[in-house]
Amino acid sequence: MLVDDKYFLGVDVGSVSTNMVLLRPDNTVKEALYLRTQGRPMQIIQEGIKLLRSKIGKSAEIMGVGATGSARQLAATLLGADVVKNEITAHAVAASRVNPQVQTILEIGGQDSKIIILRDGVVSDFAMNTVCAAGTGSFLDQQASRLGIKIEEFGPLALEAKNPVRIAGRCSVFAESDMIHKQQLGHSLPDILAGLCQAMVRNYLNNVGKNKDIKGPIFFQGGVAANPGICKAFEEELGQPIIVPENYDVMGALGAAYLAQEKVGSRPGTRTRFRGLDLGETRFLAKSFDCTGCANRCEVVEITQDGRSLARWGDRCGKWSVAGVADTAISGLEQKEEQRGA
Amino acid sequence: MRIGFPRALYYFDHFPFWAGFFHRLGIEVVTSPATHRQIMEQGLKKASDETCLPLKLLAGHIQALKDVDWIFLPRIVSVEADTYTCPKFLGIPESLLPAVPPGMPVLTVTLNWRKGKRQVLKDLEGLGVQLGKSSSDVRKALNEGLEWQKRYQDSMGAGWDFEESIREIGRAAKDLTESAKVPTLVTWKERMFAKMSSTALKRTAEFPIVDQNRDRLRIALVGHSYLTHESYANLNLLRKLREKAKVELVQNVNQEEVKTNLFGLRKKLFWSHSKQIFGAGNKFVADQSVDGIIYLTCFGCGTDSMVQELVSRKAREQHKPYMVVTLDEHSGEAGLVTRLEAFLDMVERRRVHEGYVSTYGECLDRNSNAL
Repeated sequence: MLVDDKYFLGVDVGSVSTNMVLLRPDNTVKEALYLRTQGRPMQIIQEGIKLLRSKIGKSAEIMGVGATGSARQLAATLLGADVVKNEITAHAVAASRVNPQVQTILEIGGQDSKIIILRDGVVSDFAMNTVCAAGTGSFLDQQASRLGIKIEEFGPLALEAKNPVRIAGRCSVFAESDMIHKQQLGHSLPDILAGLCQAMVRNYLNNVGKNKDIKGPIFFQGGVAANPGICKAFEEELGQPIIVPENYDVMGALGAAYLAQEKVGSRPGTRTRFRGLDLGETRFLAKSFDCTGCANRCEVVEITQDGRSLARWGDRCGKWSVAGVADTAISGLEQKEEQRGA
Repeated sequence: MRIGFPRALYYFDHFPFWAGFFHRLGIEVVTSPATHRQIMEQGLKKASDETCLPLKLLAGHIQALKDVDWIFLPRIVSVEADTYTCPKFLGIPESLLPAVPPGMPVLTVTLNWRKGKRQVLKDLEGLGVQLGKSSSDVRKALNEGLEWQKRYQDSMGAGWDFEESIREIGRAAKDLTESAKVPTLVTWKERMFAKMSSTALKRTAEFPIVDQNRDRLRIALVGHSYLTHESYANLNLLRKLREKAKVELVQNVNQEEVKTNLFGLRKKLFWSHSKQIFGAGNKFVADQSVDGIIYLTCFGCGTDSMVQELVSRKAREQHKPYMVVTLDEHSGEAGLVTRLEAFLDMVERRRVHEGYVSTYGECLDRNSNAL
């Protein structure tokens, strides 16, 4: 049973959701968590670790940790990650492990959307949305609550549509006024929802998917993949089947776990930098201050654990930030402080 | 007499010329400090909302010039035959007058190099009258400026560093006590040889030079000089890139190479910067040793809206990894870093996959998609 008690942990801290995956050494998923970040990434990471610990018991061993997502630096600092990777690589790794034939990944998350083109299991091209969040989960969330329906009901309702209405999807502000207009004309709710799905897909393909060679098999992952209305709209627009993988909502975390496995597993003797499953009990604090060293006035963030400084970032010049999250970083910091004091 | 020269826009291309010109005339040139938050904020306040980021930065730099008698804002219509500069350059100084502090006189001159050096001299003589300088002084100053500019451009090579060479020019421009002297800008080759010990030199003579840095990625950063070298606005992109890869710049490509790479167009490109960017971009696309191309642009750039598309098509034809980074005044660093990391990952993995020689043995595992 000892073998079963070893896991790799992948953590994906995004703007809307914080996901964690425990991967067994035989590449099967033991546990997958999907938590709402709720603007408090540090607490949610700790809660997630507590939850995981309650599920796997005290004797379990974490062999490696990978962090990804927009708060990957924060997550890596808190957890002591072995690998810190961007979301695109993490998603691509997860998808190509699940299905090595995959050629296109459509990923729509809470605040960003991306397309990844793979050829022979290697990323050959990618794009992310630029400044507009029109085609993302947050927008759907917002519209669902405006219409007074749960986000879970959104997709199934959209599937009931008979005549989807046409909604301008270029901009979320205009899309909303368009929807209100259609609703006041008396169109049915399913038709409006389906129209919104189509508008969002059009917007995504025109912006993010511009000039990309979309070939099957196509994976659709990220939180929005839970919405069958969007899946259907993608299938209609692309004329190809869309595959939603089993762990579609935690693919980033899964990719991070695979990356951790490769990093730690490939080199026997390397030990994980994971800070232990009991980190849910310690106190992490984030402080921020304005550096007054020059006219840039950078906002520097400092993370402390039980009063001990773990990392700092946010400055442009590198005066405060410390690369890496291991003990060396801490000693480096202390050294810096000494120098300043002298 | 002190002339204020904003550290923006044409500063990145033509500062050496003006530094040499004013140096010969015995006029001190004061530049604004490197961009910082306050300069950016001031620029955003004073510049037209619809213009591009570099022009907004220029507006900020104008306000950052302190203790000067004039602010110098030339209208550079063209810098060579057959092309013009970007239309927004032509609107200077009028488009930026709202940014000039009240009461501060603006010194300007219209230069149109496509009409020839004689016309330029005539226009500069007009400027000389305002400064109380004779025609012969201006003629000498023009030649001095051209000499400085030539030196500067000759120094651009593989090991060229913008900050370093511009500092040398700034120092020379300030030094008015010494008789007019061209700054000693050594070319990159001279610098490299100076750094090498004699034994190392012998070794390179014995063995054909194999690029020892072949394991490092080679990334071409394509874009306007006032974006690629504006380290505040581009969130230190160049430095970040240099930490991870060998960087090729548009400025490293000489005019002849640019000319030979201007193919596949039905018409000539109107704009000198775009011509340089397109020619260099084409060269990088064709160059097998360049692993990927990053096109740096900003919102509101009219010329890039076309040229970026042209370069991206060339890159796609050749299956060259290609990414566009679009800057604006609110760019968050996280977004840039994510894209940069993902791009470098992609390039690295593609290189490994496509069977280049790699020192990372474990990467050759086809099942593993990781570094």
